[in-house]
Amino acid sequence: MKSRELAAGVVLGAILLILLFVAPAFFAPDNLRDLLLNSAGVMLVALGMTLVIVAGHIDISVGSQFAAASIAAGLLSKAGLPMPLVGLLVLGLGALLGAANGLLIGRLKIPSIVVTLATMIILRDLLRWTTEGAWVQNLPVGFQWAGLGQTAGSVLILVKILVAILLVAWCLRNLSAGRQLFATGSNPDAAVLAGIRTNAVVTGVFVIMGILSAAAAMLNAIRFSEVPGNPGAGLELKAIAAVVVGGASITGGRGTVGGTVLGVLLLSVIGSALTYLGINPYWEKAVQGVILLAAAASEAVRQSRGLKGAYASR
Amino acid sequence: MQAVKILVALLALEIAVFSFTGANFLSSGNAAEILRLSVELGLLAVATTLVIITGGIDLSVGSLMSLCAVVMGALWKDAGWPLETSILAGLLTGVVGGYMNGFLITRFRQLPLIVTLGTFSLFRGVAEGLTAAVKNYTGFPPNFLSLGQGYLFGAIPMQALVFIPVVLLFWVLLHRTGIGRSLRAIGYAEPAARYAGIPVELRLRLVYTLSGLAAGIAAMIYVAHIGQAKSDAGTGFELMAITAAVLGGTSIFGGKGTVHGTLLGLAAIVILQNGLRLSGQPTELAGILTGLMLIVSIGLEQRPGMSRVVLAVGAMALALLIGFNGRAVKTGPEKRLQVGMMPKAKGDPYFISCRKGAEEAAKELNIDLIWDGPTDLDPAKQNEVVEAWITHGVDVIAVSVESSASISTVLRKARAKGIKILTWDADAEPDARDFLIDQATAQGIGYAVTDQTAAILNGKGEFAVVTGSLSAANQNEWIKHMRVRLSEKYPDMKLVTIRPSDSDRDRAFAETQTILKVYPNVKAIAAISAPAVPGAAEAVKQSARKDVKVTGLSLPSMCKTYIHDGVIRSIVLWNTHDLGYLTIQAADALMKGKLVDGFNAGSLGPHAVRGDHVMLGEPYVFDISNVDKFEF
Amino acid sequence: MQLVQASAISKSYAGTQALKNVSFTLEQGQVHALIGENGAGKSTLIKIITGAIAADQGTISICGNAVGQTTPALMKSLGVAAIYQQPSLFGDLTVTENIALAVEDRSMLGRVDWAKRRQWAKELLDRLGARIDPDQEASSLSMPQQQMVEIAKAIGGEARIFVMDEPTASLSDTEVDHLFRVIGELRTKGAGVIYISHRLDELSRIADQISVLRDGESIASRPMKEVDRAELVKLMVGRDVSAIFPKQKVPIGETVLRLRDVGNVGSGIRRVDLEVRAGEIVGLAGLVGSGRTELANILFGLTPATSGSIALRGKAALIDSPQAAISAGIGYVPEDRRHHGLVQSMSVTENTTLATLGAGLLDFGAERQIATEFASKLGTKTASVDVAAATLSGGNQQKVVLSRWLATKPKLLILDEPTQGIDVGSKSEVHALMVQMARDGMAILMISSELPEILGMSDRIAVMCQGTIAGVLDRAEATQESVMHLAFPVLPKTRGVA
Repeated sequence: MKSRELAAGVVLGAILLILLFVAPAFFAPDNLRDLLLNSAGVMLVALGMTLVIVAGHIDISVGSQFAAASIAAGLLSKAGLPMPLVGLLVLGLGALLGAANGLLIGRLKIPSIVVTLATMIILRDLLRWTTEGAWVQNLPVGFQWAGLGQTAGSVLILVKILVAILLVAWCLRNLSAGRQLFATGSNPDAAVLAGIRTNAVVTGVFVIMGILSAAAAMLNAIRFSEVPGNPGAGLELKAIAAVVVGGASITGGRGTVGGTVLGVLLLSVIGSALTYLGINPYWEKAVQGVILLAAAASEAVRQSRGLKGAYASR
Repeated sequence: MQAVKILVALLALEIAVFSFTGANFLSSGNAAEILRLSVELGLLAVATTLVIITGGIDLSVGSLMSLCAVVMGALWKDAGWPLETSILAGLLTGVVGGYMNGFLITRFRQLPLIVTLGTFSLFRGVAEGLTAAVKNYTGFPPNFLSLGQGYLFGAIPMQALVFIPVVLLFWVLLHRTGIGRSLRAIGYAEPAARYAGIPVELRLRLVYTLSGLAAGIAAMIYVAHIGQAKSDAGTGFELMAITAAVLGGTSIFGGKGTVHGTLLGLAAIVILQNGLRLSGQPTELAGILTGLMLIVSIGLEQRPGMSRVVLAVGAMALALLIGFNGRAVKTGPEKRLQVGMMPKAKGDPYFISCRKGAEEAAKELNIDLIWDGPTDLDPAKQNEVVEAWITHGVDVIAVSVESSASISTVLRKARAKGIKILTWDADAEPDARDFLIDQATAQGIGYAVTDQTAAILNGKGEFAVVTGSLSAANQNEWIKHMRVRLSEKYPDMKLVTIRPSDSDRDRAFAETQTILKVYPNVKAIAAISAPAVPGAAEAVKQSARKDVKVTGLSLPSMCKTYIHDGVIRSIVLWNTHDLGYLTIQAADALMKGKLVDGFNAGSLGPHAVRGDHVMLGEPYVFDISNVDKFEF
Repeated sequence: MQLVQASAISKSYAGTQALKNVSFTLEQGQVHALIGENGAGKSTLIKIITGAIAADQGTISICGNAVGQTTPALMKSLGVAAIYQQPSLFGDLTVTENIALAVEDRSMLGRVDWAKRRQWAKELLDRLGARIDPDQEASSLSMPQQQMVEIAKAIGGEARIFVMDEPTASLSDTEVDHLFRVIGELRTKGAGVIYISHRLDELSRIADQISVLRDGESIASRPMKEVDRAELVKLMVGRDVSAIFPKQKVPIGETVLRLRDVGNVGSGIRRVDLEVRAGEIVGLAGLVGSGRTELANILFGLTPATSGSIALRGKAALIDSPQAAISAGIGYVPEDRRHHGLVQSMSVTENTTLATLGAGLLDFGAERQIATEFASKLGTKTASVDVAAATLSGGNQQKVVLSRWLATKPKLLILDEPTQGIDVGSKSEVHALMVQMARDGMAILMISSELPEILGMSDRIAVMCQGTIAGVLDRAEATQESVMHLAFPVLPKTRGVA
């Protein structure tokens, strides 16, 4: 049942083992810290994407949400608001953007891939139109590292991510809402008959997705002293790939936080590992593609999928 | 059916609005351009319709296009194959790639979304790996290029010759053959199709193979259209193709959908972009409106009761939005000079600062300045904008050229129609333009950056380069001159690695972190893309390596703090504000026939013109002594 | 006390009136059977009671309190629990979770007590006598096991009103006994059960009251003791069904299908020997899970044989795909009409020609003609051959599936539960069609779980047990007892073989 997670773990372990012998410098604490910090954004987004995919949906607007939240963080901070308030407002914006997706999907029953494709384009072009790609510059000193300095700041970011991971994992397992989420993704019709308010579950998941995208944007942005004009392009596919490599089923109903964490780590280690192993970094995308395909192919055929239709996409 | 009706209404609305607001929107020339713009996307969209009808999805077509283009270019240019054979090999690559999707999906019974997400990454990864993402195959013979750039009977774009038959074949296949029927059966209820004896696996492999073939054909036309084969071809096309199909009434759940519906969906998107451009509206509106159309038309299918109200309200909103804004552009003195000025990418801070100068000059000279261009680096988009300006009928076009091979044909066409052409920042082929606004030579830039790096290293030691994308032509040119300078003047300095940043600050940051760890002897980073310099500087700063310094090409405003911190020693650049300003001044002088050596460039005073080069001046070095004096 | 009081309920779908002014009462401690032909409105009525759909007119009262807006969540909280015909489990979740999700309270932020959940599940399954591991994933359960979990879900909560729609469709006799015992317990505790079934024999065992629906109207409601089978059938159909099985003797021809030692490792079929001759109807009997459908899947190439040989009209045939089966002259009407038999969204015409499509150009006129011809020949009642198959009633849908296979001019037709879930009237029409086909020289292999149908329609009866053929009986010698004798494993083994 957990074969895909295991596979991701084994491949990750193998890569780390090779690095241990060939390029032990990879394991320098600095490098590991940087690696984790650089994958912070993808990690939080993939965490939310796990919930979305378990619910049987997909969200390709997260990159645009990330961009909107990043720029909002910069602008609010520049307007002189204190950082905690900035954080809160940015998360609120994320919740709002997520709710828009959630309502269109949960209430109007438009397929999530269509809704989020549309909101991805709308949001991205709305940003381009209004900001014209300008960076948010001359931010207050308190913006970078939330004013805590580099060491404390990076610890803060890593701790927040760890807390988010543990919190989501705990809620999925121990809250009634978490179990209802799995039920909704596994068999939406049966969930309705079981008295689960699937509309609310789906809408809620997209709200959480929005919040996590915004949190990812926030934690990523405060590592720098400026906010670039159009960040987060391609983030959606990275996150989906990580979740799938981590063993979640794209048809909904299965997926684990642990698997996703492994998936994110695996895919983000590749680029760095190739460099340490002296391989041309231009093969990075190809290697990531192969890993994703291998993860998909390694999963044994599940007969029970027959009724859902083996090849239907959503 | 519902979807098609809504779409026809939307389309009619678009055409009605744009025929009022768009200059020359309703002309045969514009119709031809719209057709030309639709071909590559149209091929993908039609093939993807079949895929979606089986209940699947194909995310890999854009990436596959790049692989086909690169394979074709490499075989022709590097391996010396005849062009015809190379084209066949390119098409075959598409077929093989598509079949691979179909095979993986059916053999491992995996969801198309996952498989094609994997090959999405794989195909482009192989294309980038094969070319190290650098190689750009150009110089294709004219008879091949005419396939993408020429006209039939002087009016119909050549690619229609391929497009129309292919679309017809797809239409017949889907709507008039047993195979098409069986695809719908599979999409509606795959198990039922299987129990009815339909060879499901075989059909799916066929559909994905056709999708791959369509990507191959689209790639060949794309190469002919923009005159170059590079690993960035077709980026983002997959989502646009899916958008067109879904807008055209193809159900993402499978079963429902038509080829003609998809063509309508495609038309709605392309006409929107074209019409907005001709109305002088920001093209970002096209994306926003496309997204809204998608939600509204699918939403209406779910809640048909609301259709009339929503449609009416939407129609009014669209008309008001465009009509109101459009009027603002059209009013004003009739005989103002119209200049279309195009950056490589609108969002790039470098170009934003050029724009400020250009606007200042336009205001002084009472010129109607249209500033438009691709949002991200995209040579095909540049062609599109020039075409729109030709239709619109501007007086001068000034382009910062992304791909010379790609844009020169269109610029020649514009010249033939009596439009004056300037290039600025980066040049096209000399016969495709009247003058180049020359900010600094590639040699001057390459040498200056090398000299600054040498100053950090005291002429001795290792350094690394962080570039924009390795495929950017002018950045590669600069690197070439840097190498020359190294061998001539600094034999003790060593360039150990060149890393890409995709002109993305965060990517430059991560790459620099890796450089610092993998190459501990590197003491200087030369970043030659504007966002890459602050990215590299931040990485150096966070590493607390006091012994490493950054230099490169960037804007003073982006680097100011790092220069004060001492992380960046200096940056090299010309005055971007003045570059924009000079371009518009030159355009004005050109129209008045006064663009000669020593012409009066407004607040910049008399300016030198050497042959057909208008000289801006030498590159500037910004360091702690002067950086605060500049606003851009 | 009246647990459910439904008064003057009306409901129509897209023009067709599914329920007309129907009233229905469920008393405390009552098992109230609801019968009627397919399309009579039973499902609509129970869906209204469970809140899955809303009535257009009329009121529902639960325990004397009128309920306004009905939703599944609300009705559940009022004590209504439902077991639907098709198990609706969460395949990715464990048995424990499936049961717990039905039983727990619905507050989203409530804590999940895993130990308690597991305990619940175990107790409920034990009470039903079901040997199912509560930690197993639901998708790995067999159909009868899934049905038992459904039942456990329903009886686990605080429900007082149970709606059971054909709960025994896939259960073995032992399992049915367990279920009936539990229903008895529920009745003694004062709960009420609305029980829908086509198996009239079952009803006399458990029902107290019986209501008959016909064409969306309530025809009769009487105590079970006062009615007999013939009367019920008459009430349901609205006419006398004189000859229930129209089986006629037709000349038997050459051997069409010959199986020697056929097996498939994956589906557990082993050493099957069987012959079917032209004009002959061979009934394939056996318990659920004995391998009947699996054998059919081998013959149709869905799961090709891994051992043994198949000969068609004397010639060895390699049947490795449905396409090969069709070109060898085999047709297959599958058991699951909704998912396997028909493409619901496609028209009657498109469904009729689906197996004879080919790859080339279509001839719409000819297609329509074929569909119209078969519709009139088989007496398919449809507004037009262009409407979606989903709009037809079960019996007429089955006729569309039959048309499809008749259009392939098969030599051998496999019918898997050809009359399951269709009303009595259509049932005898399908039987008459089978006789007609046999007369035309077709060989027919009919799988059925209804013994009377097997006995009434077959020339010979092959009885399957544990993946192989336990014996073949001639029409003359076959009785219910002799068939069941072969169907049960020789040694009393654990039931519920997947």
